[in-house]
This record gives sequence, C-alpha cells and structure tokens, in this order.
Amino acid sequence: MAILGFLAILGPGLISANAGNDAGGIITYASAGSQFGYRMLFLMILITVALVVVQEMCARLGAYTGEGLGALIREQFPLPSGAAAMLLLFIANAGLTVSEFAGIGASMEIFGVSRYIAVPLALAGIWTVTVLGNYSLAERVFVVMGLVFLTYPIAAFLGHPDPGAVASNLLWPHFLHSKAFLLLAVALIGTTITPYMQFYLTSAVVDKGVTPETYRGERIDTINGAILSDVVSIFIIIATAAAIGGTGPLSNIGQAAAALRPVAGEAASQLFAIGLLGAALLAATVVPLSTAYAIAETAGVERSLSRKLREAPVFYGIYTVQLVVGAAIALLPGNAVSLVINAQVLNGFITPVLLTYILILANRRSVLGDAANGPIFRTVATICVTVVGLLSAVVLVQTVIGWL
Amino acid sequence: MAHELKGSLISLAALLGSEVKDSDGRSVGRLSDVVVHWTTREAYPTVKAIVVKAGKLEVVIGARWLEVVSPSAVRLRSSRAYASAIDRHPGDVALAHDVLDRQVVDADGVQVLRPSDIYLAAVGDRIELVGIEVGVGALVRRLGPRRLRSHVRLGRAIDWGSISGFVPRTPGDMRHGRRSQIAGEAGTGLELDREAAEVKRLRPSEVQAALEDARAKRTGELA
Repeated sequence: MAILGFLAILGPGLISANAGNDAGGIITYASAGSQFGYRMLFLMILITVALVVVQEMCARLGAYTGEGLGALIREQFPLPSGAAAMLLLFIANAGLTVSEFAGIGASMEIFGVSRYIAVPLALAGIWTVTVLGNYSLAERVFVVMGLVFLTYPIAAFLGHPDPGAVASNLLWPHFLHSKAFLLLAVALIGTTITPYMQFYLTSAVVDKGVTPETYRGERIDTINGAILSDVVSIFIIIATAAAIGGTGPLSNIGQAAAALRPVAGEAASQLFAIGLLGAALLAATVVPLSTAYAIAETAGVERSLSRKLREAPVFYGIYTVQLVVGAAIALLPGNAVSLVINAQVLNGFITPVLLTYILILANRRSVLGDAANGPIFRTVATICVTVVGLLSAVVLVQTVIGWL
Repeated sequence: MAHELKGSLISLAALLGSEVKDSDGRSVGRLSDVVVHWTTREAYPTVKAIVVKAGKLEVVIGARWLEVVSPSAVRLRSSRAYASAIDRHPGDVALAHDVLDRQVVDADGVQVLRPSDIYLAAVGDRIELVGIEVGVGALVRRLGPRRLRSHVRLGRAIDWGSISGFVPRTPGDMRHGRRSQIAGEAGTGLELDREAAEVKRLRPSEVQAALEDARAKRTGELA
C-alpha cells in the first residue's frame, strides 16, 4: 500500500515516461543489449536529450493552454492534417497494443500456458474489467507487477559489466554502419519517444490542473521523469549486454530473462515473466483507452467509461478495435521478437511526423504567448526532430528498397 | 415556409474556401472567414463582413455587399465592393478562427462538444448566426471533396442563443463582458448558459422547426 501511495503522488511526467518501459520497450532494450552489446548506449543518451525536449514542450502546452494535444491539433491545424495526425496516432498505438499482447503471450508461455489461451483471455479480461468493472484498481495491480523491472539496475551491477566498455560506449558513439543497427536505432527511438506518451502527458498535465503559475514544479517532474525512465532503459541494455551481449538478436522473448540471473538465479525467468506480464497488461489496458480518449476528444464526441456503449459508439469502437486487432496480430505465427521490434520501428517512423506537430504548436506565440519556444530552444528542438526524422526516413527507404 | 427556410440556411463549412465572385462574374478570391458582431444585446449576431483571401492578401468585405446565392455560396452585389484591410474591433468574432473546432463547455466548465459546422440563416436582408452543428457528419463532410460540402445536411445542432460567451483558459479570469477579446486564443472556448445535461441537441427536424419559429418572430419584429 505504501508503494501505491507513493505512485499516487508521482507526477504525470514520471508516469508518462515510465510508460515507455512497457513490453515493447523491455524487449527492444533487451534486444539492443543482446545484439549489439553496449553500442547503443550513446544513442540512448541522445534519445534522452530529445525525450526531455519533447516531453517539456508537451507539458508546457498542457499547462499554458489547458487543452490536450488532440484538441490543440484540431484547433490549430486544418481539419485534414488534424485527421491525418489522429490516424497516425491510431496506427502507432495499434502497433504498441500488438507488442503488449505479444508480451502477454510470451510471459505466459514461460509459465507453460499457450499464448493461444493467454492472449484471448487477456483480451476478454481487459475489455470486461475496463468497460464493466473498476479498471483503476486493475491498473494499480499491474503497476506493482511492472515494478519488477526496477531490479534491472541491480542486475546490471551484479552482472559485472565491463566498466570501461560501458563508460566508453556511454560517452562516445560506437555506431555500426549496418541495416540491422539502424533499424534497431529507429525501434529504440520509437519505443522511447513513443507518440502515446506525448498525448498522455499533455492530457495528464491538464487533468492535474497545472497552470502557468505552477508550471515550474511540473517542468522539473517532467524532466526528471524522462531522465529516470531512460536510466532504467540504459540499465536494461547494460544488464542484458553483460549477460548475453554479442550473441545476436533475441531468438525468443524469454531469452531476455537471462539478464536477471544475477538477481534471481534460477528464478530469473519467472521474475522476468511476472514483470513483463504486469508491464504488458498495464499498457494493453491504458494505451487503447488513451487512444480512444484522444481521438474522441479531437472529434468532439462522447467519451467516457461511464457512458453506455450506444451513447459513445466512436469512443468504445476505437477502444475495442485496437484491442481486437492487437490481439489478433499478436497471435499470428512468426517470431514474436521480430513482431515487437517491427511495431516499435513503425512507431519510430510515425514519431517524427507527430513531433513536427508538437514543435509547430510550441513555436507558435498564438498558442503559448511568451511561453512559446525561444530561439535557442527552437533550434535545439528542431535539430532533435530533424535528426529523428532523417534517421527514420533512411530506414524507411532502406526497408522499402528491400521489399522491391 | 420550411422549404424557404431550408434554402436560406447556410453552412460555414460549405462556404469556407468557396470562390467569391462579383456581380460581373469575376472572381474576387476565396472566402476564408465570416465575421459577426456579437454584443450582449442580441442572441443571434449579424454577419458583419467576410474575409476573402486573394493570393497572399486577406481583405474584409462588408456584409452590405453580400447576397446569398445558395447554402454554400455568397456573391457580391456589385463589382465595386469596398474591401478593407483586416482590423479587429471589440465585439468582432471571426467564426472559422474563433468558433469552428473550438471547445464548448457547459456552465460547470465541463467540455461538452466541438462545433464541426456553423449555421447561418438569411433573415430578411441580414445574415444571422443561428447555431452550431455538433455531429460527426459535418466532420466527415469537411474531410471530403468540396462538391460534397455543398450538400448541406443538418446534423445535431445547438441553438446559438444558448451560448453565453467565450471563456479564457484561466478559470479565475472570467471576462464574459468582453466576448471577442479572448476569442480565438488557444485554449479558450465557448460557454453554454446551462449544464451539459440540460443542453438540448436538436435533431434536423427540430432545427428546422426552431429556425422557422425564430425567423417568423424576427421577421415580425423587423416589419
């Protein structure tokens, strides 16, 4: 209960940023450690800088306008481009939902339950509890389960990583010029700066009642949240690299549990499975719901779990479609790790597009007045968005050429 | 009566981007906004001017030069209409910029909906702002090709008479008396004069009937 109390006072910035450590995130960071050892660490530093910049803009938008990103996009952009943004958000979050159900399936298979039983049960359970029951209670249970991943920093130290290699890779780029490296880089961007988090953060700041006068404290929470979340992500990479670094891509999700052996010994797999299941169930509950709220808010239609199904058809429809499509794709035959990574890559393609909307909003004095981006911040933010966009574009072109 | 009324009901979404021609058929530009003058004295503000975009230039043309051609088009009565530079006066509300797609909150400050279209009606030789549409149909129409937007189909509408003013984004600073001065600021919106549960969202047939009543009353007042 002390943990729940502590969580209750955590700010939107911290909660939003830690939403990045969902099933997709865990698996992607573990893959980075397994496949490339410590090489991705410098990239994580750069991604953290970009995340701080983006999260701060989103929190500022919420505090100074009192409106969520979806609402601002509807008001400030022509309707077709606003609709395009919502469509991209829907697709990005649908990909996340696929990852979460893949994570649910994989974690239950560690306990010997087939994913063909676990995933449909989880789908039915999540939908029923959210629509008909008390989902905030379920949310708290999942949060507690997901706290297992706070053991990663411990595992990272107990795994005796090479301190020289870690420091060197943190402070200096050791990038590889390979398609696989670039693809995973885009996946890391997609899972760390995922659009879902920006929309969630802005709405959460508004719901919390943050105003321009109280924004200073919120900014600190937002920046701390982004940094702390990425610190955990970096420890996941280090712990996995120390355990199984250089052995190539993860062949299955359960392999990632090897990183927790220094902490849990033979029980590493079970510990990992509990954490993954909690993180995946939480995200599978929250992400589709958040998407439905955002799109319904932008469209200006009824959106509330207290409404009956027929009173809020658009809201419930978006929510249900996300869940069903996510679960269905997660059950398709194939490598679950590839499926999850590809979903994060998809997020990575969409992220720079939505970041452009956020940047434009935060630059406009007509939106933020004197709190609009100043020249230095605007330059830094533009560089971040441009670099992310260029990287995604390169990988997208490579991927398309690969298909042809 | 209902047939006449339907012919004189105008959709802002259909007007926006439409070509404005003068009486000689020459194109003046594209309609980019409609300005009404909204004071505390009147529930249904009168259209004061339109904003026309010609290339990169935006100009204002007064309502006295306008005539309604169809629910989706207006025309200038003359080829010698006077255009002026944009200058916002107290009480001026630019419908596309300040009202369309903005949030509408109820008397408790709870967001209830967003106008996806705005209805004007020709009353005598004036054009008045009469209501906002809050259905999804108008959104879909606006995303479609231009020719579909001229097929104005009434969705669920709210009487403009139940809008009490603009609200600033800081709840403690309520400036109802100065309706237009915060209009259009990001995060502001419109406020209804009642709670959400009491808002009557009129179906198309009810909109027709309500407009018919209002028009009959006001035509009587004007006469």
